[in-house]
Amino acid sequence: MNIKRFFYGLAGFALLIGLWGIYDRLVYGHVNTNYGSYVVWGLWVAMYLFFAGVAAGSFMISTLDLLFRIPIFKGTGRIALWTGLVSLAAGLTSIALDLGHIERIWKVFIEGNPSSVMFQMVWGYTIFGLLMLVCLYLAIRQPESRLLRILMGFGLGLSLFVSGAVGALLGVQAARPFWHVGLFPVQFPVFSLASGAAAMLPVLAFFGPKQDPNRRSQFWVLGILSAALVLVKLYFMWADYSVSIYGNVPQNVDAVQEVLFGTYWWAFWILQLLIGSFIPLAVLMQKRLVEKTMLIGWMGVCLLIGYAVARGLIIFPALSVPEIDSLANAFGGPHLSFDYFPSLVEWAVTIGTIGMATIGVLLGGDFLPLYEQRRVKGKA
Amino acid sequence: MKEISRRDFLKISGAAVSLLGAWEHAPEQALAAVNTSVKAIPQAFDVSPEDDQILRMQSDLRRALQKPVEERRWVMVIDLRKCVGCHACTIACVAENKLPPGVVYRPVMVEELGTYPNVAVKFLPRPCMQCDEPPCVPVCPVNATYKDKNGVVVIDYDQCIGCRYCVTACPYGARTFDFGVLYTDETAEFDGIIFGKPSASAYERSASYEYGDARQRNDHTSSPIGNVRKCHFCLHRLEEGMLPACTTTCIGRATYFGDANDQNSLVADLIASPNVMRLKEELGTQPRVYYLT
Repeated sequence: MNIKRFFYGLAGFALLIGLWGIYDRLVYGHVNTNYGSYVVWGLWVAMYLFFAGVAAGSFMISTLDLLFRIPIFKGTGRIALWTGLVSLAAGLTSIALDLGHIERIWKVFIEGNPSSVMFQMVWGYTIFGLLMLVCLYLAIRQPESRLLRILMGFGLGLSLFVSGAVGALLGVQAARPFWHVGLFPVQFPVFSLASGAAAMLPVLAFFGPKQDPNRRSQFWVLGILSAALVLVKLYFMWADYSVSIYGNVPQNVDAVQEVLFGTYWWAFWILQLLIGSFIPLAVLMQKRLVEKTMLIGWMGVCLLIGYAVARGLIIFPALSVPEIDSLANAFGGPHLSFDYFPSLVEWAVTIGTIGMATIGVLLGGDFLPLYEQRRVKGKA
Repeated sequence: MKEISRRDFLKISGAAVSLLGAWEHAPEQALAAVNTSVKAIPQAFDVSPEDDQILRMQSDLRRALQKPVEERRWVMVIDLRKCVGCHACTIACVAENKLPPGVVYRPVMVEELGTYPNVAVKFLPRPCMQCDEPPCVPVCPVNATYKDKNGVVVIDYDQCIGCRYCVTACPYGARTFDFGVLYTDETAEFDGIIFGKPSASAYERSASYEYGDARQRNDHTSSPIGNVRKCHFCLHRLEEGMLPACTTTCIGRATYFGDANDQNSLVADLIASPNVMRLKEELGTQPRVYYLT
């Protein structure tokens, strides 16, 4: 079976499920969601962080071709940029549905509060999205232009800033010791680069032209890069968790224990560590396996699952710990719970956004000159 | 006590009947009529030490209202030794602000200490702390939440985009999100057998008057649905010279309210006592809610 057709079908089905979720969200508001006033950010926020990370990371990867002109990555810049764009669109869809009043988003631009990290993030991602669009246009129309390289250089800095801002968004919150980590703004750009590198594996393996002579080298480099970033990420996590447990601040320890042994233990041990880290690590570090294109693609998918779960496991556990002991039972009512598992509507929308991103990548590959190596042809 | 004459009785009854009639047809107009009749702020009055503390606080409040708004410093004092955990303040707040399910401004936390038979129960009412250094304010991307002239942290429902960043920033869990749920959403209805839903639902959807604005709940999108909500010391009552609902309702007289900048006020006396504490002071939030322990 043609892999592209398979993914078109799968993503189309996912999109249909997502449309039902979006319909429910638009008609009934937030009533049928499971995030609440205590676990106030749920799956949609986690997926926004994930997609935004993939967007920033994909841009970083695209600079290998379009800014640094590394020969083995020749021809991958445009599809990386496009992947970043569709990922950003999926992330914005996710966060738009999460907002209580999306129709007022213009207020962030006109009546905003510049000292808010969220303000900085919204502005940053807006400029970043527009920049990606311009860069993609130039990469297709004028791949050799100086302006493209200047914009790519600027965009590289911006991608570090926006992904760092996501870390800062959480890190500035003294009320949540689990998030209040000074190095979050440093860690998140690394997470983004890891997500971008991982995203390129399935994009190139499943949808990229088979005849590219550099493909094996690309897989090997991206695989080693992904493996190294997984190890760095695991080290960051170990440092965060061990310091938290050793420090013994109750709210912090409770959040770490929630990840390791609480509601989300299976997501952490099985999805994030086993499927999302160790299996890809074992495969991607073996050079002989770069021949197996499909396997490499699926390893990328595994890594992405791990990174998406990791985003959730940064968000939910911190919010699952009551700010004050006994707040959990002080007052009952819908959406007043410290236990959180996404509702059907939340899953539906998330499946839909994943479908949307997948279809976006496929359509881009089919209708835009994203994989063609014009630069090479021009020289020839 | 002055006796009510037959004429007065008929006048009051007539007014009450017409108010009820008006309520049935147009609760907003009826409430508006009531609101306009209590606009004038009453003057402070003399209170003797034997009088109920509520009277003293009322007088303190009226005295404070005569001052420029910037010179008032509203604080709340909660005497934990007097709180009996009746939750009347929570319910009064829900009723006063017409809070929907899942939205709560002043829960009372109950903590059981020790093991049987040496058990004690501790109650901790938790309104918004109205911090002088509120962590919820700088994080708002659209300046929808801010400290108003009274020093109370308020939310502009028409400005709030519903991102809930402020909820995550509050170390007291004092903010809740309005998901648009109604108490009557799941209520059964059966013509002639189960009744009451239409009128209960109509009441529930009729306007609440927080911040002095009439806001109905007729759909899933109109503010305050989709907004973050919180305690605001009943600003709409203060402006009318009335104490916050939780304060007047407290059966143990455990909640005090007033202007800490007035050295003659009851709250100024109370927060000068040595057994005062504030929640999570180490975070530097400078709460305006004090607890007596």
